[in-house]
Amino acid sequence: MLRFVLLLNALVLYAYRIDAVTRPVLGAVCVLAMVVWTPLASWLLADPARRTPWWLGLDLALALALVLLSPVVKGAGFGATVPGFWVVGALMAWAVRYRWPGGLLAGAALATADLAVRRDVTQANAGNVFLLLLGGVIVGSMAESLHRMALERDRAQHEAAVAAERTRLARAVHDGVLQVLGLVQRHGREVPELAELGRLAGEQEVALRALIRRQDTVDPDALAVSAPDRVDLVAALAPYAGRPGVEVVDLGERVEVAARIGSELSSVVAACLDNVGRHAPGASAWVLVEADDERVVLTVRDDGPGIPAGRLEQAAAEGRLGVAESIRGRVADLGGTADLRTDPTGTCWTFSVPRATTEPAGGRIGS
Amino acid sequence: MDAQLQEEARVSVMVVDDHPMWRDAVERDLREAGFDVVGVAATGDEAVRRFPACRPQVVVLDLQLPGRSGVEVTREVLQHDPSARVLVLSASGEQADVLAAVKAGATGYLVKSASRAELLDAVRRVARGDAVFTAGLAGLVLGEYRRLSAPADPGRPTLTERETEVLRMVATGQSYKQIAERLVLSHRTVQNHVQNTLRKLQLHNRVELTRYAIEQGIDGDDGGDGDDGDGAG
Repeated sequence: MLRFVLLLNALVLYAYRIDAVTRPVLGAVCVLAMVVWTPLASWLLADPARRTPWWLGLDLALALALVLLSPVVKGAGFGATVPGFWVVGALMAWAVRYRWPGGLLAGAALATADLAVRRDVTQANAGNVFLLLLGGVIVGSMAESLHRMALERDRAQHEAAVAAERTRLARAVHDGVLQVLGLVQRHGREVPELAELGRLAGEQEVALRALIRRQDTVDPDALAVSAPDRVDLVAALAPYAGRPGVEVVDLGERVEVAARIGSELSSVVAACLDNVGRHAPGASAWVLVEADDERVVLTVRDDGPGIPAGRLEQAAAEGRLGVAESIRGRVADLGGTADLRTDPTGTCWTFSVPRATTEPAGGRIGS
Repeated sequence: MDAQLQEEARVSVMVVDDHPMWRDAVERDLREAGFDVVGVAATGDEAVRRFPACRPQVVVLDLQLPGRSGVEVTREVLQHDPSARVLVLSASGEQADVLAAVKAGATGYLVKSASRAELLDAVRRVARGDAVFTAGLAGLVLGEYRRLSAPADPGRPTLTERETEVLRMVATGQSYKQIAERLVLSHRTVQNHVQNTLRKLQLHNRVELTRYAIEQGIDGDDGGDGDDGDGAG
């Protein structure tokens, strides 16, 4: 496109200054050369595969030849060279193909030719020559950075495709591993000698499933949304599912909270589960993570024998800060409430904490 | 005991799983327990093809299948015979798949690490028409209702307070029996609450699918009015 505009410009200028032409036949040959070469070059150089040194060399050589022929065509004291700005086409081609060194080289060659054929160099001539050099270098560097950006984009696209494929393959592998772990557990329950193996397989199965869950919650556009000081509470609590007998249940969506709330709630859940392990070994426990726009509600339930009546009161009367009180304190610091129910069929904690960040510490202590 | 066995012998089951070891193990367990395994399939396409001939009452279905997915199998099988029951038996339990299968009409879900007794019990209960939930599935269903309720629209299904209460208890690992005792309800009533939560989701899903199909159909006939990119937001 640029080449055709330049050709038009050269032709109009040539026609405008036709009276300066001393050798019309040679001039016509020069013009014809430009008219023929312009579409040919446009076609040749459109495809990067055809941008060989030979064609580019010919392109530049023709431009140089036309510049050098100018004094012959137009007489020694000519104003504009025959091709005029048309040489920019070759310059750009070199700059695009060989980056800034190519632009500089082509620019220097054209500048030298231009200056060599002139009898006297005006300020305007010098300016044009300088622009030629500068243009070559700038277009060369731009081509360079464009090329680099394209490469980076290609690499990013490639990486995304690889990651997607890896996820797909991992899914198939994980599924297979889970199937086998499930089978081993099944056999373990039925063949006493395999009981230990079955138990281990069960633990690994839970761990692998927690991992998959965490990957799933990382996957979608979440990466873009997640600010550094916020965490996904579901992902933060997922590792507890790796403990024997513990199941973490969520609503199938991320629960984003401030990092401080996330880590505090995580330690609260850990404290509850440690307590289950200490006082009701072998009991199962469930952690349910729920959230609406305003609050996060955590339920930690176990099917142990429950906390004996009077035990908590006794601890309080003795001035000991029991585990239960420390749990309550932590939740209160987050501006939330803690509810404890216990009976011989199990113990159930329910924590409700506002999602918005509250004052850092020692805020309202409800009860 | 004998009477129970007699009753169970009539329950016909189809096992769909692409892992031969699992398929054989499940099939053997079911046969030994007196179920009538009328067919097996290793792929989704096979399952859909063989289902009409086998006419099982219960399909025990893995979700990760080559070809047609478990979710599609659920939808097509129930379209063919709405009285059939689908029990999902999945290894990885990927949440989106499980939820999609339940919305497509599956009424039971178990992870593969469940014991043989749990599996047999689940097949019996699903065959009776009960909904077999894990704590994880209850969480997903609670979440789905929450997501549906976000834009307040009278057409969207909602949970009653009692249903929410029951689901939350299931999600914290409580059995129907424990829930019934705590809430002073009959076991059957608890069952019904749980089933209702699924039924409403499935109905909503069908309505949505139909609405979608109609919209697509109308668009196709009239050539559309060029407002394709118009979202609700």
